[in-house]
Amino acid sequence: MKRSTWNMNIQRGTYPVEDRGLRFELAADLSPGVGTSCVWIRGENGLGKTTFLERVVIARLKADGIDYLYVGQDIRTQIYTLRAMLSVRGHHVFGTDEKELFRLWIGQSPTARVLILDEFDKYFQDYRFVFDWSRAFIQTYIVVSHAGHQRMFPSEDRLAVHPVLFTASGYDGGVKRVRILLEQPWSF
Amino acid sequence: MAIYDVKQLLDRYDSGYLIVDFNHPFIASTLREEIWLLEHRDDSAMLEGIAQAAAAFQIAPVDKDRDIDTYSGGEKVILACLLMLAVIRARRVGGIKLLLSNVIDSLSENNREILLEKFHQSASDLGLRLFVGGNHSIEEIDLEHEHTARNLSR
Repeated sequence: MKRSTWNMNIQRGTYPVEDRGLRFELAADLSPGVGTSCVWIRGENGLGKTTFLERVVIARLKADGIDYLYVGQDIRTQIYTLRAMLSVRGHHVFGTDEKELFRLWIGQSPTARVLILDEFDKYFQDYRFVFDWSRAFIQTYIVVSHAGHQRMFPSEDRLAVHPVLFTASGYDGGVKRVRILLEQPWSF
Repeated sequence: MAIYDVKQLLDRYDSGYLIVDFNHPFIASTLREEIWLLEHRDDSAMLEGIAQAAAAFQIAPVDKDRDIDTYSGGEKVILACLLMLAVIRARRVGGIKLLLSNVIDSLSENNREILLEKFHQSASDLGLRLFVGGNHSIEEIDLEHEHTARNLSR
Protein backbone atom coordinates (compact mmCIF):
# COMPACT_ATOMS: atom_id res chain seq x y z
CA MET A 1 0.00 0.00 0.00
CA LYS A 2 0.99 3.58 -0.44
CA ARG A 3 1.28 6.57 1.76
CA SER A 4 4.36 8.49 2.39
CA THR A 5 5.08 11.99 3.43
CA TRP A 6 6.04 12.98 -0.10
CA ASN A 7 4.18 15.99 -1.33
CA MET A 8 4.45 17.21 -4.88
CA ASN A 9 5.48 20.83 -4.78
CA ILE A 10 5.95 22.92 -7.88
CA GLN A 11 6.89 26.31 -6.66
CA ARG A 12 5.29 29.50 -7.86
CA GLY A 13 7.37 31.34 -10.37
CA THR A 14 8.27 31.56 -14.03
CA TYR A 15 9.03 28.51 -16.12
CA PRO A 16 10.34 29.31 -19.60
CA VAL A 17 10.24 26.59 -22.26
CA GLU A 18 12.10 28.43 -24.98
CA ASP A 19 12.07 25.78 -27.70
CA ARG A 20 8.26 25.73 -27.54
CA GLY A 21 7.94 29.52 -27.42
CA LEU A 22 6.21 29.40 -24.04
CA ARG A 23 6.71 31.00 -20.68
CA PHE A 24 4.58 29.73 -17.81
CA GLU A 25 3.85 31.98 -14.89
CA LEU A 26 2.68 29.84 -12.01
CA ALA A 27 0.76 32.11 -9.67
CA ALA A 28 1.06 29.99 -6.52
CA ASP A 29 2.74 26.81 -5.32
CA LEU A 30 1.15 23.74 -6.87
CA SER A 31 1.17 21.49 -3.85
CA PRO A 32 -1.85 19.22 -3.56
CA GLY A 33 -0.82 17.62 -0.26
CA VAL A 34 -0.22 14.11 0.97
CA GLY A 35 -3.82 12.89 0.77
CA THR A 36 -5.29 11.41 -2.38
CA SER A 37 -6.07 14.28 -4.67
CA CYS A 38 -6.78 15.29 -8.23
CA VAL A 39 -5.13 18.22 -9.97
CA TRP A 40 -7.59 19.11 -12.73
CA ILE A 41 -6.02 21.16 -15.52
CA ARG A 42 -8.03 23.03 -18.11
CA GLY A 43 -7.66 25.98 -20.47
CA GLU A 44 -7.90 26.98 -24.10
CA ASN A 45 -6.19 24.92 -26.77
CA GLY A 46 -2.58 25.79 -27.48
CA LEU A 47 -1.67 27.20 -24.08
CA GLY A 48 0.89 24.51 -23.41
CA LYS A 49 -0.95 22.25 -20.98
CA THR A 50 0.81 19.19 -22.34
CA THR A 51 4.15 21.01 -22.48
CA PHE A 52 3.71 22.03 -18.83
CA LEU A 53 3.08 18.40 -17.89
CA GLU A 54 6.07 17.11 -19.79
CA ARG A 55 8.58 19.86 -19.15
CA VAL A 56 7.66 21.11 -15.69
CA VAL A 57 5.60 18.52 -13.79
CA ILE A 58 7.39 15.39 -15.00
CA ALA A 59 10.75 17.15 -14.68
CA ARG A 60 9.87 17.83 -11.02
CA LEU A 61 8.83 14.21 -10.44
CA LYS A 62 12.06 12.95 -11.97
CA ALA A 63 14.10 15.34 -9.85
CA ASP A 64 12.26 14.09 -6.75
CA GLY A 65 12.73 10.45 -7.77
CA ILE A 66 8.98 9.85 -7.78
CA ASP A 67 7.56 7.07 -9.97
CA TYR A 68 4.71 8.15 -12.21
CA LEU A 69 2.43 6.85 -14.93
CA TYR A 70 1.70 9.07 -17.91
CA VAL A 71 -0.97 8.53 -20.54
CA GLY A 72 -0.37 11.03 -23.33
CA GLN A 73 -2.82 12.59 -25.76
CA ASP A 74 -1.69 10.61 -28.80
CA ILE A 75 -2.62 7.39 -27.15
CA ARG A 76 -2.86 5.30 -30.28
CA THR A 77 0.92 5.09 -30.53
CA GLN A 78 1.33 4.59 -26.81
CA ILE A 79 -0.96 1.58 -26.93
CA TYR A 80 1.58 -0.23 -29.10
CA THR A 81 4.28 0.57 -26.57
CA LEU A 82 2.13 -0.73 -23.72
CA ARG A 83 1.45 -3.91 -25.63
CA ALA A 84 5.14 -4.47 -26.36
CA MET A 85 6.24 -3.70 -22.81
CA LEU A 86 3.65 -5.99 -21.24
CA SER A 87 4.47 -8.74 -23.70
CA VAL A 88 8.16 -8.57 -22.77
CA ARG A 89 7.11 -8.93 -19.15
CA GLY A 90 5.25 -12.13 -19.92
CA HIS A 91 1.69 -10.92 -20.18
CA HIS A 92 -0.63 -12.29 -22.81
CA VAL A 93 -1.60 -9.23 -24.83
CA PHE A 94 -2.74 -10.49 -28.21
CA GLY A 95 -6.40 -9.79 -28.63
CA THR A 96 -6.47 -8.04 -25.26
CA ASP A 97 -8.76 -5.02 -25.28
CA GLU A 98 -7.60 -1.57 -24.29
CA LYS A 99 -9.15 -1.52 -20.84
CA GLU A 100 -7.42 -4.77 -19.96
CA LEU A 101 -4.12 -3.37 -21.23
CA PHE A 102 -4.48 -0.42 -18.90
CA ARG A 103 -5.37 -2.70 -16.00
CA LEU A 104 -2.23 -4.78 -16.56
CA TRP A 105 -0.06 -1.71 -17.02
CA ILE A 106 -1.33 0.02 -13.89
CA GLY A 107 -1.15 -3.23 -11.92
CA GLN A 108 2.52 -3.77 -12.67
CA SER A 109 3.45 -0.28 -11.43
CA PRO A 110 2.65 -0.33 -7.70
CA THR A 111 5.51 2.02 -6.87
CA ALA A 112 3.93 4.85 -8.88
CA ARG A 113 2.61 7.73 -6.80
CA VAL A 114 1.38 9.98 -9.60
CA LEU A 115 -0.90 9.15 -12.53
CA ILE A 116 -1.13 11.69 -15.34
CA LEU A 117 -3.95 11.51 -17.88
CA ASP A 118 -3.89 14.01 -20.73
CA GLU A 119 -7.39 14.25 -22.22
CA PHE A 120 -8.07 10.60 -21.56
CA ASP A 121 -11.79 11.37 -21.66
CA LYS A 122 -11.59 11.70 -25.43
CA TYR A 123 -11.44 7.94 -25.45
CA PHE A 124 -13.59 6.87 -22.51
CA GLN A 125 -16.75 8.66 -21.42
CA ASP A 126 -16.47 6.96 -18.06
CA TYR A 127 -13.01 6.02 -16.88
CA ARG A 128 -13.56 5.37 -13.22
CA PHE A 129 -11.95 1.99 -13.82
CA VAL A 130 -8.57 3.76 -13.90
CA PHE A 131 -9.22 5.15 -10.42
CA ASP A 132 -10.47 1.81 -9.12
CA TRP A 133 -7.35 0.00 -10.31
CA SER A 134 -4.88 2.57 -9.05
CA ARG A 135 -6.32 4.03 -5.86
CA ALA A 136 -4.33 1.64 -3.65
CA PHE A 137 -1.05 3.33 -4.51
CA ILE A 138 -1.61 6.54 -6.49
CA GLN A 139 -1.51 9.66 -4.36
CA THR A 140 -1.88 12.42 -6.91
CA TYR A 141 -3.93 12.23 -10.10
CA ILE A 142 -3.19 14.91 -12.68
CA VAL A 143 -5.94 15.15 -15.25
CA VAL A 144 -6.14 17.43 -18.28
CA SER A 145 -9.74 17.64 -19.38
CA HIS A 146 -12.06 20.07 -21.10
CA ALA A 147 -15.03 18.09 -19.87
CA GLY A 148 -14.26 17.91 -16.16
CA HIS A 149 -13.00 15.34 -13.72
CA GLN A 150 -16.32 13.73 -12.81
CA ARG A 151 -15.97 10.95 -15.34
CA MET A 152 -13.10 9.49 -13.38
CA PHE A 153 -13.90 9.85 -9.73
CA PRO A 154 -16.94 8.26 -8.16
CA SER A 155 -18.99 10.70 -6.15
CA GLU A 156 -18.73 8.57 -3.00
CA ASP A 157 -14.98 9.17 -2.81
CA ARG A 158 -14.31 12.44 -1.07
CA LEU A 159 -11.35 13.43 -3.12
CA ALA A 160 -9.64 16.80 -2.86
CA VAL A 161 -9.79 18.50 -6.26
CA HIS A 162 -7.32 21.24 -7.15
CA PRO A 163 -8.55 23.10 -10.25
CA VAL A 164 -5.83 24.70 -12.33
CA LEU A 165 -6.65 27.15 -15.11
CA PHE A 166 -4.28 28.09 -17.95
CA THR A 167 -4.89 31.57 -19.36
CA ALA A 168 -3.20 33.49 -22.16
CA SER A 169 -1.27 36.46 -20.87
CA GLY A 170 0.00 37.95 -24.12
CA TYR A 171 3.19 37.74 -26.11
CA ASP A 172 6.62 38.93 -25.15
CA GLY A 173 9.03 39.07 -28.08
CA GLY A 174 7.37 36.11 -29.80
CA VAL A 175 7.12 34.09 -26.59
CA LYS A 176 3.62 33.21 -25.46
CA ARG A 177 3.09 34.06 -21.81
CA VAL A 178 0.72 31.71 -20.03
CA ARG A 179 -0.53 32.46 -16.56
CA ILE A 180 -1.42 29.41 -14.50
CA LEU A 181 -4.02 30.12 -11.85
CA LEU A 182 -4.75 27.83 -8.93
CA GLU A 183 -8.41 28.06 -8.04
CA GLN A 184 -9.98 27.21 -4.72
CA PRO A 185 -9.64 23.47 -3.99
CA TRP A 186 -12.73 21.56 -3.03
CA SER A 187 -13.82 18.07 -2.01
CA PHE A 188 -16.77 16.28 -3.47
CA MET B 1 -16.20 5.29 -26.46
CA ALA B 2 -12.85 3.70 -27.05
CA ILE B 3 -9.44 4.24 -28.52
CA TYR B 4 -10.13 3.83 -32.18
CA ASP B 5 -8.00 1.69 -34.35
CA VAL B 6 -7.60 3.73 -37.51
CA LYS B 7 -7.54 0.64 -39.72
CA GLN B 8 -10.83 -0.57 -38.28
CA LEU B 9 -12.18 2.94 -38.62
CA LEU B 10 -11.25 3.06 -42.29
CA ASP B 11 -12.44 -0.49 -42.97
CA ARG B 12 -15.83 0.37 -41.60
CA TYR B 13 -16.42 3.94 -42.71
CA ASP B 14 -14.08 5.03 -45.48
CA SER B 15 -16.52 4.21 -48.25
CA GLY B 16 -19.06 6.70 -46.99
CA TYR B 17 -17.31 9.20 -44.76
CA LEU B 18 -14.51 11.71 -44.79
CA ILE B 19 -12.70 10.99 -41.52
CA VAL B 20 -10.73 13.33 -39.26
CA ASP B 21 -9.07 11.31 -36.49
CA PHE B 22 -7.36 12.97 -33.52
CA ASN B 23 -4.43 10.58 -33.64
CA HIS B 24 -3.79 11.04 -37.37
CA PRO B 25 -4.84 14.55 -38.36
CA PHE B 26 -2.03 15.18 -40.90
CA ILE B 27 0.28 13.25 -43.18
CA ALA B 28 2.70 16.03 -44.09
CA SER B 29 4.83 18.02 -41.68
CA THR B 30 3.51 21.50 -42.50
CA LEU B 31 0.15 22.95 -43.46
CA ARG B 32 1.56 24.10 -46.81
CA GLU B 33 2.73 20.59 -47.65
CA GLU B 34 -0.58 19.08 -46.56
CA ILE B 35 -2.43 21.39 -48.94
CA TRP B 36 0.01 20.44 -51.68
CA LEU B 37 -0.77 16.75 -51.10
CA LEU B 38 -4.50 17.38 -51.33
CA GLU B 39 -4.51 19.93 -54.14
CA HIS B 40 -1.37 18.83 -56.02
CA ARG B 41 -0.12 22.40 -56.04
CA ASP B 42 0.73 25.29 -53.79
CA ASP B 43 -2.52 27.03 -52.98
CA SER B 44 -1.79 30.28 -51.21
CA ALA B 45 -5.44 31.37 -51.36
CA MET B 46 -6.53 28.25 -49.49
CA LEU B 47 -3.74 28.70 -46.99
CA GLU B 48 -4.75 32.32 -46.43
CA GLY B 49 -8.39 31.29 -46.01
CA ILE B 50 -7.47 28.73 -43.37
CA ALA B 51 -5.28 31.24 -41.52
CA GLN B 52 -8.16 33.74 -41.52
CA ALA B 53 -10.64 31.11 -40.31
CA ALA B 54 -8.20 30.00 -37.61
CA ALA B 55 -7.98 33.57 -36.30
CA ALA B 56 -11.52 33.17 -34.94
CA PHE B 57 -10.28 30.49 -32.56
CA GLN B 58 -8.29 31.08 -29.44
CA ILE B 59 -5.14 29.54 -30.85
CA ALA B 60 -1.76 30.77 -32.03
CA PRO B 61 -1.54 32.45 -35.46
CA VAL B 62 -1.14 29.96 -38.29
CA ASP B 63 2.21 29.74 -40.02
CA LYS B 64 2.21 27.80 -43.28
CA ASP B 65 5.69 26.38 -42.72
CA ARG B 66 5.49 25.69 -39.00
CA ASP B 67 6.14 22.06 -38.07
CA ILE B 68 2.73 20.50 -37.47
CA ASP B 69 4.05 18.66 -34.43
CA THR B 70 4.73 21.94 -32.65
CA TYR B 71 1.01 22.75 -32.58
CA SER B 72 -0.93 21.39 -29.62
CA GLY B 73 -3.29 18.44 -30.09
CA GLY B 74 -6.33 20.72 -30.08
CA GLU B 75 -4.75 23.18 -32.50
CA LYS B 76 -3.89 20.35 -34.89
CA VAL B 77 -7.43 19.06 -35.13
CA ILE B 78 -8.84 22.59 -35.53
CA LEU B 79 -6.48 23.09 -38.48
CA ALA B 80 -7.34 19.66 -39.89
CA CYS B 81 -11.06 20.46 -39.76
CA LEU B 82 -10.55 23.89 -41.34
CA LEU B 83 -8.47 22.28 -44.08
CA MET B 84 -11.20 19.72 -44.79
CA LEU B 85 -13.81 22.47 -44.94
CA ALA B 86 -11.60 24.50 -47.28
CA VAL B 87 -11.09 21.55 -49.63
CA ILE B 88 -14.79 20.69 -49.63
CA ARG B 89 -15.62 24.31 -50.39
CA ALA B 90 -12.95 24.65 -53.09
CA ARG B 91 -14.28 21.59 -54.89
CA ARG B 92 -17.92 22.49 -54.23
CA VAL B 93 -18.67 18.95 -53.09
CA GLY B 94 -22.17 18.71 -51.71
CA GLY B 95 -23.55 16.29 -49.12
CA ILE B 96 -20.22 15.22 -47.62
CA LYS B 97 -20.52 13.13 -44.46
CA LEU B 98 -17.66 14.16 -42.16
CA LEU B 99 -16.78 11.82 -39.30
CA LEU B 100 -14.82 13.28 -36.38
CA SER B 101 -13.08 10.66 -34.28
CA ASN B 102 -11.92 11.79 -30.80
CA VAL B 103 -11.85 15.39 -32.01
CA ILE B 104 -14.64 17.29 -30.23
CA ASP B 105 -13.56 16.37 -26.68
CA SER B 106 -10.06 17.69 -27.36
CA LEU B 107 -11.38 21.23 -27.76
CA SER B 108 -12.13 23.88 -25.19
CA GLU B 109 -15.76 24.91 -24.94
CA ASN B 110 -15.10 28.17 -26.83
CA ASN B 111 -13.23 26.48 -29.65
CA ARG B 112 -15.81 23.69 -29.88
CA GLU B 113 -18.59 26.22 -30.36
CA ILE B 114 -16.66 28.14 -33.00
CA LEU B 115 -15.88 24.93 -34.89
CA LEU B 116 -19.48 23.72 -34.78
CA GLU B 117 -20.53 27.11 -36.15
CA LYS B 118 -18.10 26.64 -39.06
CA PHE B 119 -19.61 23.25 -39.75
CA HIS B 120 -23.08 24.76 -39.56
CA GLN B 121 -22.17 27.26 -42.28
CA SER B 122 -21.02 24.44 -44.54
CA ALA B 123 -24.11 22.42 -43.71
CA SER B 124 -26.25 25.33 -44.90
CA ASP B 125 -24.20 26.00 -48.05
CA LEU B 126 -23.10 22.55 -49.10
CA GLY B 127 -25.29 20.06 -47.27
CA LEU B 128 -22.40 18.86 -45.10
CA ARG B 129 -23.40 16.38 -42.40
CA LEU B 130 -21.34 15.88 -39.25
CA PHE B 131 -20.88 12.64 -37.33
CA VAL B 132 -18.88 11.78 -34.22
CA GLY B 133 -17.85 8.38 -32.89
CA GLY B 134 -15.77 5.50 -34.13
CA ASN B 135 -15.39 1.77 -34.41
CA HIS B 136 -18.41 0.71 -32.44
CA SER B 137 -20.97 3.37 -33.21
CA ILE B 138 -21.32 6.83 -34.61
CA GLU B 139 -23.98 9.49 -34.22
CA GLU B 140 -24.95 12.50 -36.26
CA ILE B 141 -24.69 15.97 -34.76
CA ASP B 142 -27.80 18.05 -35.37
CA LEU B 143 -25.96 21.18 -36.51
CA GLU B 144 -29.12 23.25 -36.90
CA HIS B 145 -30.24 22.44 -33.38
CA GLU B 146 -26.77 23.18 -31.98
CA HIS B 147 -26.70 26.48 -33.88
CA THR B 148 -30.07 27.53 -32.48
CA ALA B 149 -29.08 26.53 -28.94
CA ARG B 150 -25.88 28.58 -29.21
CA ASN B 151 -27.80 31.65 -30.36
CA LEU B 152 -30.34 31.28 -27.58
CA SER B 153 -27.65 31.05 -24.94
CA ARG B 154 -25.97 34.28 -26.06
